[in-house]
Amino acid sequence: MLPNSDLYPFQMIRSELTWIVGEANVMTDDAQKLSHSIDYYWVPECWHDRGQKLPGPDFVVCPGTAEEVAKVIQVANTYKLPVVPWGGGSGSQGGALPIYGGIALDTKRLNKVISIDPISMTATAETGIITQQLEWEINKAGYSTMHFPASIGCATLGGFIAHRGTGVLSTKYGKMEDMVMSLEVVTPTGEIINTLPVPRHASGPDLTQLFLGSEGTLGVVTKATIKIHPIPEARKFHAFLFKDMHDAMMAGAKLMTSRLQPCAVRLYDEPETARLIKRVLGIDRKGAYLVFGFDGPERIVDIQLEEACKICNLTAIEDLGTESGEAWWTNRYKFFYPPYMFQMPQAFGTLDTVATFSNIENVYWGMKNAVKEKFPEATFIGHFSHWYDWGCMLYARFIIENPPADPAESVALYNKVWDVAIREAIRNGGVINEHHGVGLKLGRMMKDLYGPAFTTLEDIKKTLDPNNIMNPGKMGFKGA
Amino acid sequence: MNIDKYLDIISACRFCFMCRHLSANGLATGRECDTPRSHALIADLVRMDKANLANPDYIRTIYESDLSGANRRHCRGYHADTNCYDEIGLQLALRRDIVEAGLAPAEINAIAEQLKDVAFTVKGTADVLYYRHPCVDRHTPEAADAFARLAPNAAVIEGGDCGTALDILGFAQDAQAVAAKFLAAVKAANCKTLVIPHPGAYHFAKQNFAGQGFDIITSADYLKGLAPKAAKSGKVVFIDSDFLSNYESCNAPRELLAAAGYQVEDFGTNPEESYACGEGAMVQMLYAPTIAKALVERVARFAKAYYDGQTIVVAAPYTKAVISRFAPELKVITVEEAIA
Repeated sequence: MLPNSDLYPFQMIRSELTWIVGEANVMTDDAQKLSHSIDYYWVPECWHDRGQKLPGPDFVVCPGTAEEVAKVIQVANTYKLPVVPWGGGSGSQGGALPIYGGIALDTKRLNKVISIDPISMTATAETGIITQQLEWEINKAGYSTMHFPASIGCATLGGFIAHRGTGVLSTKYGKMEDMVMSLEVVTPTGEIINTLPVPRHASGPDLTQLFLGSEGTLGVVTKATIKIHPIPEARKFHAFLFKDMHDAMMAGAKLMTSRLQPCAVRLYDEPETARLIKRVLGIDRKGAYLVFGFDGPERIVDIQLEEACKICNLTAIEDLGTESGEAWWTNRYKFFYPPYMFQMPQAFGTLDTVATFSNIENVYWGMKNAVKEKFPEATFIGHFSHWYDWGCMLYARFIIENPPADPAESVALYNKVWDVAIREAIRNGGVINEHHGVGLKLGRMMKDLYGPAFTTLEDIKKTLDPNNIMNPGKMGFKGA
Repeated sequence: MNIDKYLDIISACRFCFMCRHLSANGLATGRECDTPRSHALIADLVRMDKANLANPDYIRTIYESDLSGANRRHCRGYHADTNCYDEIGLQLALRRDIVEAGLAPAEINAIAEQLKDVAFTVKGTADVLYYRHPCVDRHTPEAADAFARLAPNAAVIEGGDCGTALDILGFAQDAQAVAAKFLAAVKAANCKTLVIPHPGAYHFAKQNFAGQGFDIITSADYLKGLAPKAAKSGKVVFIDSDFLSNYESCNAPRELLAAAGYQVEDFGTNPEESYACGEGAMVQMLYAPTIAKALVERVARFAKAYYDGQTIVVAAPYTKAVISRFAPELKVITVEEAIA
């Protein structure tokens, strides 16, 4: 237990931290604590909305180098203080919440692009950089990260690495685990290590992939080398309307299994087409909206687009054309801005999961029917937004317009919806998450998902973090 | 309370992260509290319990804000069909509530006292009245001198800030009292056009003096008609003003540079971010020098990376002043100097 802030031991810890990062970068003020007590997870938002006090950090520490991160972690080990890495704080799973107090390790001063290698097409950057800023700096050199998530303006590179994040063009350019070449990591005992410089090798197990998705439980990623890409000569989109989600899914799967290489594919189910496509794009149709795009040399783009359109024309009820597709691309982030985004007092969550083409519709219907049956007050909508050679990701959402006024009751209902829906996803061949991570929200289900293999993960955690200081209580690991 | 007029902004912004990449303070300091989301969270706590208004940490955070307007402008880009979320308005409302509750920090009160001490005088008689703003006079007199060379027949008004800074600091009533004195002096001068070289004062004048029988234009707008066309050549790196770009959508300085023959390259990596170093807060470096220094350091880092040794042309005298103070190694001139 951390000493009370009025007592001298607290001030001793503060002094030690100050000696490492400087007076201005150790903060204990209420404004910083408030800001680090709420991320994009619905539960703390609800807690705040209902006037409840939120657990926050005792210290907010902003290191400027990996060496400073290492020294802060060494101090934390001495005093057995929890350390919770915080990037943009825009995670939706509660992964960055300092629920046991301790140190919120804000990485945003680690914000520099260190080098760009135009020969290998890679860039090395510190991980506290906001990804839009990273993209702009890479653009300035004439390239692109091709990482375009809706949270591009708010999340850091480290945040995406922490939970295996993804972007709109993932179908061609991959998720974060495909984009990363290598990492610099400060371990939970305060050593600075580097993973191998290339992601393809036969030199033992891949440490890079161990830290990707570890959500700050296995250390702090301080630097990353990522792939970069040329700005494509052309990027074109096209949209179709299908009678229902099933027909659209079959067409989308055919696009992928034909081994065409779209940069993006997105399929909206009938309720989401009726609700969001109508509201944001102004397309008022009954059915399922499917949009896809290709980028690269224009001639290749045109050929692939033509082939994709042939596939869709076999079963689509309406060719919405390139204009509708381009409109989707132009407005791709708009869905997440107020007032388009859901907001209080609504209760809402993104039940994202991923499965093979054989299973994905069963996952969808299993989740939808379970939510509908057990929570008639909830609306279930979804789209399929990241596509692979073998399957796709389901971005399902539930919305409860008027959850209970009592915060505890409201959170209990929220947790129950998640539990029912995600367990149904697992039962049908899905996993608990595709690109938002596990965090605090879904940790309880990790043992069920992994089975006996979870013990292996726990053993890794215990070995790397003997004092259990790194983000305790997240990803199903032991609390502080 | 003043924030009661902004409840929809609080509701929309308190959990929204979408513009955080444009928070100038946030980018410079890395502090989470320097974002519109955090400002809205603070306002929300005040809405729930007025006692929170007295929290010195919250007061300091609100006063340290850069007020660049880049976040609001970004938000506007996504709300062409509705009014965007006016997070600047919310911050100014919070400042007014702080002042009205007698909670303004001592250094803010001291600055306000100085700003109230105005005595406007007009020199000369002409259709064109040039407002020699104290910020221009103090920090970039060469800009005023350059204007005088190009427009020697203009009359000049001086004697203090016309109310902008007081308004920004939350002293709304005092700002209006000063504004009334300024307006009376301008009217007495019988000018047809009021030329304002200070972007903040220009914005305030547009808000408060419209429809008073004279036109209000920036000095860049005025000089576009006077400066010799295509007399200059070469590339200039340009840092725009928060007030002109984000508050007024005014492109006059850039147009003036281009008309003079310069090839204008915008500073930095993107067209959305503010590089004006706290100009939107107008007097930030007087009471938050650490923040002002951090803002300049970010600009200096980009200057070294992309424009090493090149002269930077700025639209706002404040920007020149603050960069000159904290990064004297950078060569910075105003638009007026560039075309003189």
